[in-house]
Amino acid sequence: MKSNGKPKPRFTFEDPERVEQIFSQYPDKKSATLPLLHLAQSQEGYISNSVIDSIAELVDCHPAVVMDCVSFYTMFYTKPHGRNIIQICQTLSCSLNGADELVDHVTDKYKIKPGETTADDQFTLMKVECLGSCGTAPVVQMNKEYHESLTKQKFDELLAEFE
Amino acid sequence: MNTFKPVLTEHIDQKDCHTLSFYKSIGGYTALEKVLTMNPDHVTQEVKDSNLRGRGGAGFSTGMKWGFIPKDSNKPKYLINNADESEPGTFKDRLLMNKAPHQMLEGMIIAAYAIGCHTSFIYIRGEFYQEYKLLEQTIAEAYDNNILGQNILGSNYSLDVVIHRGAGAYICGEETGLLESLEGKRGWPRIKPPFPAIEGYLQSPTIVNNVETLSCLPHIINRGASWFKSIGPEKGPGPRLFCISGSVNNPGVFEEPMGVSLKDLIFDRAGGIPDDKQLKAVFPGGSSSAILTANEAMDVMMDFEELVEKGSMLGSAGIIVMDETVNMVQACLNIARFYAHESCGQCTPCREGTSWLVMMLTRLINGGGKPGDIDMLFEIADNIGGLIDFSKGSFGKTICPFGEAVAWPVRSFVEKFKGEFMEYLPQEKVVA
Amino acid sequence: MPLLKIDGKEIEIKSGTTVLQAAEANGIEIPYYCYHPALEIVGSCRMCLVQVEGMPKLQVSCNTFVSDVSSDRKVDGKYDMVVHTQNDLVVQERKNILEFLLLNHPLDCSVCDQAGECYLQDYSFKFGNAHSRFDENKRVRPNEFLGSQIVINHNRCIMCSQCVRFTQEISGTSELFVEARGYNSKIAVLEDNPLDNLLAGNVADICPVGALLSTDYIHKNRIWNLKKQPSVCQDCSVGCNVDVFSQTDQILRLTARENLDVNGYFMCDIGRYGFHRYEEIDRVLQPMVRKGDSFVSADWETAIQKTIDLIKKNKSNTAGIVSPFHTNESNFLLGQIFKDVLGSLPPITGEEITYPSGFRISADRSPNTRGMNDICEGIVEDLASKIKTQDIRTLFILDDGVDRKLDDKWKKIIGKMDSVIVLSYAMTDLAKLAHVVLPGHAPLEREGTITNDKGRIQWLRPSLPVKVESKPDWEILMLVRNALDKKTEHFVELGEVMKKMGEKFENYAGITFFKVGNQGYSINGKSS
Repeated sequence: MKSNGKPKPRFTFEDPERVEQIFSQYPDKKSATLPLLHLAQSQEGYISNSVIDSIAELVDCHPAVVMDCVSFYTMFYTKPHGRNIIQICQTLSCSLNGADELVDHVTDKYKIKPGETTADDQFTLMKVECLGSCGTAPVVQMNKEYHESLTKQKFDELLAEFE
Repeated sequence: MNTFKPVLTEHIDQKDCHTLSFYKSIGGYTALEKVLTMNPDHVTQEVKDSNLRGRGGAGFSTGMKWGFIPKDSNKPKYLINNADESEPGTFKDRLLMNKAPHQMLEGMIIAAYAIGCHTSFIYIRGEFYQEYKLLEQTIAEAYDNNILGQNILGSNYSLDVVIHRGAGAYICGEETGLLESLEGKRGWPRIKPPFPAIEGYLQSPTIVNNVETLSCLPHIINRGASWFKSIGPEKGPGPRLFCISGSVNNPGVFEEPMGVSLKDLIFDRAGGIPDDKQLKAVFPGGSSSAILTANEAMDVMMDFEELVEKGSMLGSAGIIVMDETVNMVQACLNIARFYAHESCGQCTPCREGTSWLVMMLTRLINGGGKPGDIDMLFEIADNIGGLIDFSKGSFGKTICPFGEAVAWPVRSFVEKFKGEFMEYLPQEKVVA
Repeated sequence: MPLLKIDGKEIEIKSGTTVLQAAEANGIEIPYYCYHPALEIVGSCRMCLVQVEGMPKLQVSCNTFVSDVSSDRKVDGKYDMVVHTQNDLVVQERKNILEFLLLNHPLDCSVCDQAGECYLQDYSFKFGNAHSRFDENKRVRPNEFLGSQIVINHNRCIMCSQCVRFTQEISGTSELFVEARGYNSKIAVLEDNPLDNLLAGNVADICPVGALLSTDYIHKNRIWNLKKQPSVCQDCSVGCNVDVFSQTDQILRLTARENLDVNGYFMCDIGRYGFHRYEEIDRVLQPMVRKGDSFVSADWETAIQKTIDLIKKNKSNTAGIVSPFHTNESNFLLGQIFKDVLGSLPPITGEEITYPSGFRISADRSPNTRGMNDICEGIVEDLASKIKTQDIRTLFILDDGVDRKLDDKWKKIIGKMDSVIVLSYAMTDLAKLAHVVLPGHAPLEREGTITNDKGRIQWLRPSLPVKVESKPDWEILMLVRNALDKKTEHFVELGEVMKKMGEKFENYAGITFFKVGNQGYSINGKSS
């Protein structure tokens, strides 16, 4: 429960100008929370405790308040994950168009189930809910980018780019 | 038979349609020039007269909403562009952002001008990274050309637009959940009153409008309220982007007048069902709407009032088509699971009820069905979101409409395809 | 004033009142979990839904405000709002909400500390169904420590979020937060920021179910075995109103008692757990008279006679030492006996803390400095100098109690006295130096009035039975007073002392326990 007394590694933003710019866009500090979290995650890969502390200090609130926010959103990761995140949409239109087979395909290919990461840390597989691209189902979000109307073959080509 | 010419998507197939120079070449920002010479109240009146209703899902009159902004308030006013498109079956705002971002931006500036706002936000869903990057360019172009910033187009009016990315939460599409999220908090919807128009972002008067709604505004200004009202049914007129997905040959976004027939949309625009399979059921207005059976779907006009009469709703106009091979219990579970995953957890019925539905449906599918399960599914759905029929009960059991959004589709699955659900119940033993 | 009709009853009510408040004020019970009058309204538990005529949806009564409506919108031509809290629709809705709340509840009332004061239990009994229809696996999570003295039983938690709002809005410390969302939501703390602020104990008080528990009380007793006594905390000069729970001669716990003019709904942990320091003390239960280096016990008659003898030896060189830990009545009597020189020992202080909500822990850690100064005229400021200049040879001391640590300077001063009489409940540093120790009542046994630092007179009520040979402090002082001067009036009850006190001091005129009541009486005229 108590901290073990070890000093925590301190997180600092690599691009303080961007931080300044973010703050300048909002009438209050707290509104900068989400953009700062996005920025920190793109730098660190996930939201560590030191990121939480650092952002809490910047936006002038308690770390627990930032954590309350972070834990609500699916795009913020509080633990490290693989270098590439394969997010397969599983909601109705994608499901009707073969999303489940894509999940099975990744599981067969890399021996990872949804939520797992390959041993070499190359891929993390996630099943996600509607990505808002139902007209081009099935859709997979590879890291930040959408890949639409995927077939097994197109999916393999995509995965190969990241192997 | 189809004399309608697309309004919002007229140019989306053209090269560089997202750029400022292209948009200007088709008359872009002339509506803004006109608006900047008008009294803001007249702009609001014009929009009110057009009968434009929100394209996000609730279908509330846009002009009327603006009218709720208190005239005597000294606080800043905010316009938020709701680009948190997340309703399953809906993908039109993403198209508009990609293909006609300046049209949307022009609409934003018009709306901001009308309500006296000088800082406006685009709340874009976090997953839309590509669109976010594109909108950054759009906004930079606008600043470079005096379309945003100080003294827009030489007028006395100034406006800044900021893009704010969400981070993965369906509920942030609900306007008060969105405001909480914009303020740097979890997206727990707010209890009303107060309404956002009175106390919204940072307790200031705030209007939240959808991408498609805002994109209509330049056209209303340019061509007039009466032109807009002449398209489709008078109570809810205008062009509408219908998204069709699921079991169809040619899924996509189709711009049609309000009141177009669902049958035409599915079988004409979307090219019908692959392999000539039979139509089984349709979500007419996103996954929050009650499904229609094939028979119902063949005989319905896509109009606010008519869909309510049919026990469903137009919602976000996201049409999901299910063919005869689709297992309705699986489909119901798929939708229930979506809502359980997206429930914010604030109110009791939704937090507990959505997962209860998922557990029950999963048990049914895994062969653990028990007598009475069907009635229970009805009751749980009703207890989360209430009945559509007032005489039989009430709705509004949760702070935001999420409760209804899960209850209505689930109830409609069980009600309209009861037989399929029954198959998962233990067969009654015949007493010898 | 708007006219509200609620369950057929017409009520005129201040504009801006909520339906829930209006109902409560008029004896109509609307159940709720997430509402707390001191916290932001969130309307999330949905338990307080009622039907408002003219509104299509049920409304949460905690956030439905009654106000004047224009005459054309009045219901039946006269009502500003018509509300039903007990019709079929509302009653059914409560059942539904309770069913949801109980889905994952372990139904372990038999081992739950909250049993007997649990709103989940009470409302289920009153409004709920007899059995659960939930046929799935329950959500099971292990208990966790949120802080060193607060444990959470997640399985009993109903996510009303009162505790989270408490740390955000009242203590301003924000240790608690909601983790994750939906069905996976739970109350959490960050690993390196546990719930260890001085107001932490309140979260166990406000938790409407048995989810948040104070480790100090967990599994100690059942609430229905305990005697509940309203009283006042004596651990600082704020004087938080409390309920003291005891069984026979043992205190089990203290909880905050509502008093909007003093502490609101809360108390601090210094006061909450302070009673433990009286548990292992060297209690004086019989009068003690010094014999050489030690004490011998004596009967009351002998002890009082000895006291009189010591005082009479040099009455004009005797000082009375009043105490901010004692009641107004005790201090008053002592002040009447030793009119010439009155003093008090140095104040006992701590850190002054004011929370964002205005909740205060005062630097003065004694309960009655204000009252002592009101009631005792001419308390010398520099007692040590006075002792020298006036050649004081005898001290009669109302002992501050176990919190008083005597420094060497004071030990020396007291050691130089010809005689020292101490009225104390314990063998304190001070009592050990005395010639006579008169056994009085411990803080939680005392009765009388005390005055907080804002001038509010409050009723200190005995929460524990009297120990064998000890006497109420004021009675001991009466004995001394009467023995010193047979002509003085003899008071047989505390009320008479209070009356006399009121005659002497205008601010205290007319004070009775009845007038002070459970909410106190402000001498600034702002009485409740």
